[in-house]
Amino acid sequence: MSLLALKDVSVATEASGRRVDVLRDVSLAVGRGELVGVVGESGAGKSMVGRLIASMLPKGFAPSGGSVTFLGRDLLAMPPRERTGLLGDAIAFVPQHPMTSLNPVLSLGAQFDEHLKRLGQDGKAARRERAVAALDSVHLPRPADLLGRFPHQLSGGQCQRALIAMAFAGKPDLIIADEPTTALDVITQARVMELIDELQRDSETGLLFITHDLRLAAQHCQRIAVMYAGEIVETGPAAALLGDPLHPYTRSLVAANPGIDGPVRRLAALPDHMPGLSGFADLPGCRFAPRCPVRDEACAAARTALTEVAPGRFVRSAGACRERSSLLAGQGDLAGAAVRGEAAPILSVGGLGKTFRSGRDWLGRRRAPVVAVDEVSLDIAPGEFVGLVGESGSGKSTVARLLLGLETPDSGRIVVDGQDITGPFQRTAKQRIALIQMIFQDPQSALNPRQRIGRLVTQSMEVRRPPARWPERLERARDLLGQTGLPQDTIGRYPVQVSGGQRQRVNIARALCTAPRVLVADEIVSGLDVSVQAQILNLLLDMRAQMQISMLFISHDLSVVRYLCSRVAIMNRGRIVEQGPTEEVFRAPQHDYTKALLAAVP
Amino acid sequence: MSGEILSIILRRIAVAIPLMLLVSVLVFIVLRLIPADPVAMSMPPNATNEDIEALRREMGLHLPIMHQYGIWLGHILEGDLGRSIAFGQPVSKLIGESLPATIELAAFGALFATAIGLPGGILLFRLRGRPSEQAVDVGSTLMMSIPEFLWALFLILVFGVALNLLPFAGRLPPDMTIPRLTGFLLLDCLLTGNLTAFLEAIRHMLLPALALALGTVPLIMRLLRSSLLDVIGEDYVTMARLRGVPERRVINRHALRNALLPTLSLMGVQFGFLFGGTLLVEVIYSYPGLGNLMVEAVRNTDLPIIQGAALIFALAVLTINLAVDVVYIVVNPKLRRAR
Amino acid sequence: MSAEIAIGAATGTGERPLRRALRSGRVVVGGSILLVLLFCAIAAPLIAPYDPNEQDLLNALKGPFWSDNAEPGFWLGTDNLGRDTLSRLIYGTRVALFVAVCASVGTMLVGTTLALLAGYFGGVIDWLISRAVDLWMSFPPVVLSLILIVGFGVGIGNVILAIVLVDWTRFCRVVRSEVLVIRRQNYVDAARLSGFSHLRTMVREVLPAAAPLIITLMSLEMGIAVIVEAILSFVGMSVEASIPAWGVMIADARNYMYQSAWGLILPILAIVTTVLAFNLLGDGLRRTFDARLQQH
Ligand SMILES: Nc1ncnc2c1ncn2[C@@H]1O[C@H](COP(=O)(O)OP(=O)(O)OP(=O)(O)O)[C@@H](O)[C@H]1O
Ligand code: SF4
Ligand SMILES: [Mg+2]
Repeated sequence: MSLLALKDVSVATEASGRRVDVLRDVSLAVGRGELVGVVGESGAGKSMVGRLIASMLPKGFAPSGGSVTFLGRDLLAMPPRERTGLLGDAIAFVPQHPMTSLNPVLSLGAQFDEHLKRLGQDGKAARRERAVAALDSVHLPRPADLLGRFPHQLSGGQCQRALIAMAFAGKPDLIIADEPTTALDVITQARVMELIDELQRDSETGLLFITHDLRLAAQHCQRIAVMYAGEIVETGPAAALLGDPLHPYTRSLVAANPGIDGPVRRLAALPDHMPGLSGFADLPGCRFAPRCPVRDEACAAARTALTEVAPGRFVRSAGACRERSSLLAGQGDLAGAAVRGEAAPILSVGGLGKTFRSGRDWLGRRRAPVVAVDEVSLDIAPGEFVGLVGESGSGKSTVARLLLGLETPDSGRIVVDGQDITGPFQRTAKQRIALIQMIFQDPQSALNPRQRIGRLVTQSMEVRRPPARWPERLERARDLLGQTGLPQDTIGRYPVQVSGGQRQRVNIARALCTAPRVLVADEIVSGLDVSVQAQILNLLLDMRAQMQISMLFISHDLSVVRYLCSRVAIMNRGRIVEQGPTEEVFRAPQHDYTKALLAAVP
Repeated sequence: MSGEILSIILRRIAVAIPLMLLVSVLVFIVLRLIPADPVAMSMPPNATNEDIEALRREMGLHLPIMHQYGIWLGHILEGDLGRSIAFGQPVSKLIGESLPATIELAAFGALFATAIGLPGGILLFRLRGRPSEQAVDVGSTLMMSIPEFLWALFLILVFGVALNLLPFAGRLPPDMTIPRLTGFLLLDCLLTGNLTAFLEAIRHMLLPALALALGTVPLIMRLLRSSLLDVIGEDYVTMARLRGVPERRVINRHALRNALLPTLSLMGVQFGFLFGGTLLVEVIYSYPGLGNLMVEAVRNTDLPIIQGAALIFALAVLTINLAVDVVYIVVNPKLRRAR
Repeated sequence: MSAEIAIGAATGTGERPLRRALRSGRVVVGGSILLVLLFCAIAAPLIAPYDPNEQDLLNALKGPFWSDNAEPGFWLGTDNLGRDTLSRLIYGTRVALFVAVCASVGTMLVGTTLALLAGYFGGVIDWLISRAVDLWMSFPPVVLSLILIVGFGVGIGNVILAIVLVDWTRFCRVVRSEVLVIRRQNYVDAARLSGFSHLRTMVREVLPAAAPLIITLMSLEMGIAVIVEAILSFVGMSVEASIPAWGVMIADARNYMYQSAWGLILPILAIVTTVLAFNLLGDGLRRTFDARLQQH
């Protein structure tokens, strides 16, 4: 018998005045000692599953059918007091944001003490001993010392280890980990996942691992459930599911995911994006139908059910999904499409350096100077995409800001198209604007919410001498929307009125307005879902083919860099530690840091 | 750890010193702005031009302004604030006599404000989402619209005139005197062992202190409520709930502790304002404190007193802010450096 | 404070702000009260039954019409010199509203300009302006305005000037933190990369985002200005004696509160109502603009 079993669970709420099922007929089981992954894009309802089990559904959400059996008892029928009694004890949680999940004003020791006391451990000294042992079990050095520290004195990885230690401390039957590594660096993520594997291997605890990363889930879980729009569309053993996905959505997900090895094929990008809550109401049949490449007329109305198609493998379909999905073939090989950097460079950076000098905090304490960028040299040929890879804080974004003139370098030279643009922004603004532009990471913050898209994308024409007239701008805006694959009717909308993927396209369109020779893209796909990410990546490839544009593509995701960039530079603590052709660097990394980075990719 | 906190506190004090100097410059400059000629005002009407000129020299008014400031600052540092034009007494003596009364009053006001404001804020927070929230909220807006000097009058009307429950003039009944030891009346009463006088003094302080407090209470309430609302959405609160910590404890131990921090730093500013509020409250309650002295001086254009009192008020505000910051530093572990 | 900071960054979709604001009960009530007061101020000579300074010593210290010692014709009674309380209250709105509007516009201009400079440019400019604010804030506002009035002399213009010089800090501090938040938004950088000058970026990108907060603060500032003016006239340091002001009425009535409490209560009510109206308006606007509060 399984530890936890969800059987045909639905959770309903009201959206735009209509009743919608946020979760529909969700069935899922976790056995003792089993690691089960729940995978899906943002808004698929993964977290809702965790919240349902924790009885912490948001206001206005309530279960509307099915049962959640835990250790033989139906949680939904259990009195609330008893249910909260299970939390932390029989059911423990590992959060997504470790840095903010520990109370900042209580020491780690105090928080452990509270937790162990709640678990029924008597005696302060005994609790302390247990806390030390728990921290030791997650391989935190000098655990006794750590107990006296406050959360802000720990790193993200340390916080997450401490939280994992807390979760396992009570030997719970079930742990729910909602994106436990998403906020962490790649290398830290790999270590934390290893730790979770290790702790779980030695225990009877079942673990529900919620993530958006199919590969990561496949690497660590025994079984995986794939969610789309509030439904589980496919479950099965991890290896089989990744190797031979059966549902059209799962297949598309795999095809939209650039790999870290194997041939580079053009990604198959699904059109559009997953509907939001209020959209669910219009999808009585297969919720994937509007985006499904192999749908037929019946799909949109057909009632679907999770059916076993092979031993242990379940697919939600209206019938013929499996046969038809085999039609979804991989697409053309991209090898040779990328430009090699042999021509004279369009962008040339030499010995770039930037140190942020000691500011003072409000108490007048001197902050230590930070060497953000140290002797960075880099060339990009016309039409070439170069990847800049490194973990957060390694100085990638500072390089971008230096190139654009948003910061002034302490040393070094920046030459674009033969023109030296190293000086402060005011002096070099004219050349810069025409030559080099930036695509910002977060389109939400990069687009002024008070301006219409037509105006935003042609912003730079506003200050041209002589100023551009409105019809001229409108025409340019239409061009730009066309180039970036945006529907023409977005021209009069505000940024909040389009989807996340479309916002990123607007962001790209604006950067293209002055027809620059070089684009600097700072983590522009990291906030996007896999299927939308694939759309944007393909758009960038098309832009390269059509406009011969060059790009410095900043990312922490090695697979994405491999897909786009012919050359790559690896950055660590402000320095470029290794650079060269992508395939070479990935095949035979020289620097230890590069090796660690590559080893950490799931 | 404690060494680190001590050094932070010392730094914070060091930050306050230049500010204090700037305050004195400001007071000095404002004094120079005044159209009324301080010399002419301190001379008899029949004084000759030579007399005036002589006094000018004596007062150093012919010197460059920076030089004058230097002299003035030197005097202040020696505790010499000049002589009152109206009373003919040293300003430092007048201020020394009235300041303890004001400190006592302001301290009680701050105490009341805290005692009412913090529970009030928690109450506002607890009512969130209930129908009564709107009513309480409008009530707090109404309270916000009543400054302390109107509270002062209002309390007199209700508790003094209409109900005749509490006295509203002075610090003690007219027929009662207490030998002046420290100037802090309550302390003096205790030192002389006069319990009746002690209780009387408290009765006299109740209304003015309450008036001061009521001007500050709604601000504290609202800030605590809004900090609690912020904090309750934080990950660590969710995580505490997910660990099965009971809701009461989640609020009291996890949420409240964090929400109190921003409230505390606002209270520093507010208590500074509250100290300034004593000005009118003292006038209204005929309370012989610094505020009364200053308003009296303003009416007489008694510049040395105005100047001295202004300086003391600023010093008091700086001290209050400093004290609150020190408390903040001690209770906020986030200020300790990462190791 | 944090609530105030969040306002601008969270607002400004495509919705019509005015429409949304008018759906708030607070805005409607506050606004209506203010319209009535504004009407009183403008039409004072038409609606006031008497000249506010006309004395009638035979009918001194009369109560309002519902009290025992009422005198027909004097609806809300008279003061110690037999001046008609209703007329003085009506004329008093003129000083109150005039000071409120002028002072809040002044504080807004000074405070916002400095806040924009400090928050946008940061560095030395920010340091200087922030220290100036610290310095100012170390005087209790009442004390500082008294000193300034002593310096400038009485008169309505000087009262306004004093309020502006005292209260710009309130604006500056809050708007500055808002500007700091807005400044961190990438669209400000993006505007620079599109070739916008600093001035254009400030006016086109930063200021509109801070506008909801500024409007809210202005409304609250008007209430504060009314209070400060009342305080100054209460201690006799505001307008000339011939101009009726609520603070003066309170000061006069205070000496006769045993004979006629209403003489004291009515001007207090006038002040409280006016300030309440401004606060309701400000509060309502804040709520309309603040997405975070709407969720709760
Ligand atoms: N508090 C809430 N109020 C209203 N709608 C909500 C709330 N929380 C979640 N939703 C909606 O419920 C749906 C499922 O959300 P859920 O958080 O479970 O998705 P998820 O798969 O965990 O996404 P992510 O990867 O972004 O965490 C989404 O459409 C989301 O917008
Ligand atoms: S049911 Fe139809 S639309 Fe849905 S996944 Fe299967 S084939 Fe596609
Ligand atoms: Mg989630």
